[in-house]
Amino acid sequence: MSDPTRFDALVLPHLDAAYNLARWLTRDTHDAEDVVQDACIRALKYIGSLEGGDARGWFLKIVRNAFYDWLGRNRPAEVVNDENEAVDAAVDPVAISPEQAAMRKAELRMLADAVEALPLQYREVLILRELEELSYKEIARVADIPVGTVMSRLARARGLLQRSPLLYAVNGQVTRSAR
Amino acid sequence: MNCKDATALIAAYVDGETGRVQFRSIKSHLAACPNCAAEHDGLVALRARVRAEVPRYTATPALRARIQATLDAARQPAPARRRNWFDRLRSAVGGAAPGARAPAASTLAADRSRWLVGGAMAGCAATLLAWFVGTAVTDWRVNEDLAVEAVTSHVRATLGHQLIQVASSNQHTVKPWLSARLDYSPPVPDLQTEGVTLVGGRVDYVDRHPVATLVYKIRDHNIDVFVRPESARAPPSALRTVRGFNVAHATGSGMDWLAVSDLSSGELTSLVQRLARDDSMAKP
Repeated sequence: MSDPTRFDALVLPHLDAAYNLARWLTRDTHDAEDVVQDACIRALKYIGSLEGGDARGWFLKIVRNAFYDWLGRNRPAEVVNDENEAVDAAVDPVAISPEQAAMRKAELRMLADAVEALPLQYREVLILRELEELSYKEIARVADIPVGTVMSRLARARGLLQRSPLLYAVNGQVTRSAR
Repeated sequence: MNCKDATALIAAYVDGETGRVQFRSIKSHLAACPNCAAEHDGLVALRARVRAEVPRYTATPALRARIQATLDAARQPAPARRRNWFDRLRSAVGGAAPGARAPAASTLAADRSRWLVGGAMAGCAATLLAWFVGTAVTDWRVNEDLAVEAVTSHVRATLGHQLIQVASSNQHTVKPWLSARLDYSPPVPDLQTEGVTLVGGRVDYVDRHPVATLVYKIRDHNIDVFVRPESARAPPSALRTVRGFNVAHATGSGMDWLAVSDLSSGELTSLVQRLARDDSMAKP
């Protein structure tokens, strides 16, 4: 099978997954498209190194690499982002007033906003796990970290979401907000 | 199974990542322990909400078309078609009949003129493609080389005046600041007595991972020291010069130490070795 044919057969089916990951990492539609385009060019170039197996994980790893390279070029400030500030913003009960919360509740974007507010490292494992439904092992391969780190980051991401004021967290449990 | 063991495994249980034996023992523990059951239910509820309310974005038709166009451009057109296209272009641009030139003209020359004409005509597409492929190749090469990346970070930080995110000459201030932002805790040696001043630290991305960067000063030279857990990969060579900066490497205290500075190579090598084997953090 020629490289372009292999690309169409193995990589293109995962374009939605690639875009979803890039979109959650960049938090921007246009930036996500640039990252995906870059990733596609890299994938076409290196598709010879893909030996059967997990084409989606392979492609998502390229997307992630393309994203971090893009981040270094375009938002160096975010690369060295003060992570704790982000954590504080994600869990600080006064960061959002009850009135604001009530207004945003109507928009049904609250949980998505809380996910978007997560620090990058936690956001990426959460998206790979909950939206792309990758196993711990697959996430470890995509994010280039040990499985133990996948588990601890995932626990941290979930803990932050549960404590998020956007979610009406009570005693560590998520209660469904009235809709 | 007690609560302590169960707590560590509840998330894995919810994620379907436990073995069959573990699965059964957690299940029976959850049936017996209201606290752990509540934690379990909390995770299950969170998952349900995430899947219901957090959108999974999909590629738009416009993006698909854009990718397709890029790929088409990247793929070599079939030779026959290219010849025709080229001939048509040449007759259109140069006015020369396709057969005017001897068919035996060297392939190289033909290739070159084909590229020139094609470039002129296809303009945008070809230029864009070249740019994309060019950056992809450059990125690839740069990322292969840790020393180059470290120098790039050093230069970027210096030029952007982002050399220091936490300014302190106190190792006990810098270390917790870094530990809070990383998934490891880097040693922060204090060599003040040896004429090396700690001025602060920051977090950089090197090799696509967040890395602790310690900033020291010797006389007026800034020294960036990238500290990360020792990796199984082959370490960079002990000393290199990249774009006029010296890069010295050492391992010690379970870490990889990579120092970048315009300091003389001898001094830098000696510094990075002292930092790597320093045990001042262990002292009270």
